[in-house]
Amino acid sequence: MRYVLSKIAHGLLLVLGVTLISFILMVWFGPDQTYTLVGKNANPQQIAEVRHELGYDQPFAKRYADYVAQLFTLNLGASNSSGEPVSRILKRTVPVTLALMLPGFILGNVLGIALGLTAAQHRGRWTDHLINGFSVTGMSLSFLVIIIVLQVLLSTPYGLNLFPVRGWQVNDPGSYLKYVTVPTLSLILVTLGYNTRFYRAVFVEESGKDHIRTARACGASAAAILWKHVLKNSLVPVMTRIMFSIPLIVISGSLLIESYFGIPGIGKVTFDAITSGDQPVLKAVVGLTAVAFVLIQILTDLLYRLVDPRIS
Amino acid sequence: MVSDSRIWRRLKNDRAGLAGLLIVSVFFLLAAGVWTGLLGQNWSDASGGRWEPPGKEFWFGTNLLGQDIFQRSIYSVRTAFEVGMVVSIFSTVLGAALGALAGWYSDTWIDHAILWLKGVLDSIPFYLFVAAVAYALQGQDWAMHVAMIATFWTTTGRLVRAEVMKIKSREFVLSARAIGLPDPLILFRHVLPNTLHILLIQTTIAFVAAIKTEVILSFLGLGVHDGVSWGLMLAESTQEVLAGHFSNFLAASLMLFVLLMGFNLFSDALQDASDPKQAAI
Repeated sequence: MRYVLSKIAHGLLLVLGVTLISFILMVWFGPDQTYTLVGKNANPQQIAEVRHELGYDQPFAKRYADYVAQLFTLNLGASNSSGEPVSRILKRTVPVTLALMLPGFILGNVLGIALGLTAAQHRGRWTDHLINGFSVTGMSLSFLVIIIVLQVLLSTPYGLNLFPVRGWQVNDPGSYLKYVTVPTLSLILVTLGYNTRFYRAVFVEESGKDHIRTARACGASAAAILWKHVLKNSLVPVMTRIMFSIPLIVISGSLLIESYFGIPGIGKVTFDAITSGDQPVLKAVVGLTAVAFVLIQILTDLLYRLVDPRIS
Repeated sequence: MVSDSRIWRRLKNDRAGLAGLLIVSVFFLLAAGVWTGLLGQNWSDASGGRWEPPGKEFWFGTNLLGQDIFQRSIYSVRTAFEVGMVVSIFSTVLGAALGALAGWYSDTWIDHAILWLKGVLDSIPFYLFVAAVAYALQGQDWAMHVAMIATFWTTTGRLVRAEVMKIKSREFVLSARAIGLPDPLILFRHVLPNTLHILLIQTTIAFVAAIKTEVILSFLGLGVHDGVSWGLMLAESTQEVLAGHFSNFLAASLMLFVLLMGFNLFSDALQDASDPKQAAI
């Protein structure tokens, strides 16, 4: 119980930090919104009214508290460019992003674990060297280059021309597969090199430990050693890796993939908000994703305890 | 811990690593050529026709505006090295300083504050953080650099902190303390130099990350604004490839790939050479 409480306290401090940083960057130092909102030829009184509404006449602490309250009540205001409430935009776009990014994220990790394990078991032999060479090549390819190559090879007349070039008209499993394939393949290719490399290191470290040697000396079968000792003991670093790659892969990745393929998910919304300087959308997305990620971290910490009772 | 001379000796026997170093050096010479005004100076002249194929005059052809793609891809080497060097050096120095402080004063409020800052920065999705910084700085050219430095130091910081915590209980540090040397002197003269191999590896890793990030940020409109970079060339090419013009794309992506490959090979060799577990090999 003390463990749970200390983790939650730690998480709350992180929430304080991420909201403070996004508040400082986007609200406190952000561009003055007054003239985006007032009409033409506004008189000083109207300007003062809008400034009051935006809280520009309030002290730092009050405005920060208001921002945090907005995030937690999901009362996030409306987009400057479309006028649509931000909470409705999120409700519309988040499911699209999850449907788009999850298959690639999961496959990238599963394949990474499989390749990392293969390499670790053949450490120093040609299979290991081959997989290593493949990882370094993958790590040297830019995300953008991978997307462009796959798009040309799979979706244009210059290649196989099997899939739509861009867009997201999904209404049944068939059309879902059609639109999700190229983004998923890109995501797998961009993450696989790094994942394989990381998981290989974890498994090499774990299989070199003394208790594995003892188990082998006692005549435990290779499969038993793999499942009971190597994989089970590697669970904590593997889980950490997966959790910590969520903001980088799922969120940052969706920004690139969705703006490239014109898919109406949260990444595209964010991209549009960046290019048009749509502050209400931007501050909501940055604040909420950071808070959500802190919650995921707390959850992971609690899960560790279940996986490995030694952790305190 | 492996001594520095041992690292170099092992590095010399690593053929892939040496090839990587050679590639990086060649690219550095290209960048130096651009800095000194010998190479790639006509990157913005629109002297050719639209989308001319590769030929004698324009080695890699021309782009939509009739600009020489060869000149542009060479000039971009300079952009890549500028972004890579600024970000990797500053983020490594910052990581070393904060990591050393946290490790030296471990489990005090200094350590807790630095770990908290690291936790916070690691929790904000990176591209969103860049977007927020760019938004706050109103599209300043160095918003990208600031954002990368502010986030890339965390890994270096974590590694240096762990190493410093190990080193500070070793005998030479204890004796330095016993004869009454001041803390900062011990930390910077005796402890930090022993983390040099970590810093070197982290610099190469941050260099690769900075160049790759620049490409994505430039495509998203958050990166390089004036000048040219491989990222901007790739952003241009996203429309061209659909119409069958591949020169821009091929030039930028191949140069980018070769440089990153060189850095990754070199970085790998460094990591292998300074790994104490492979000391016996």
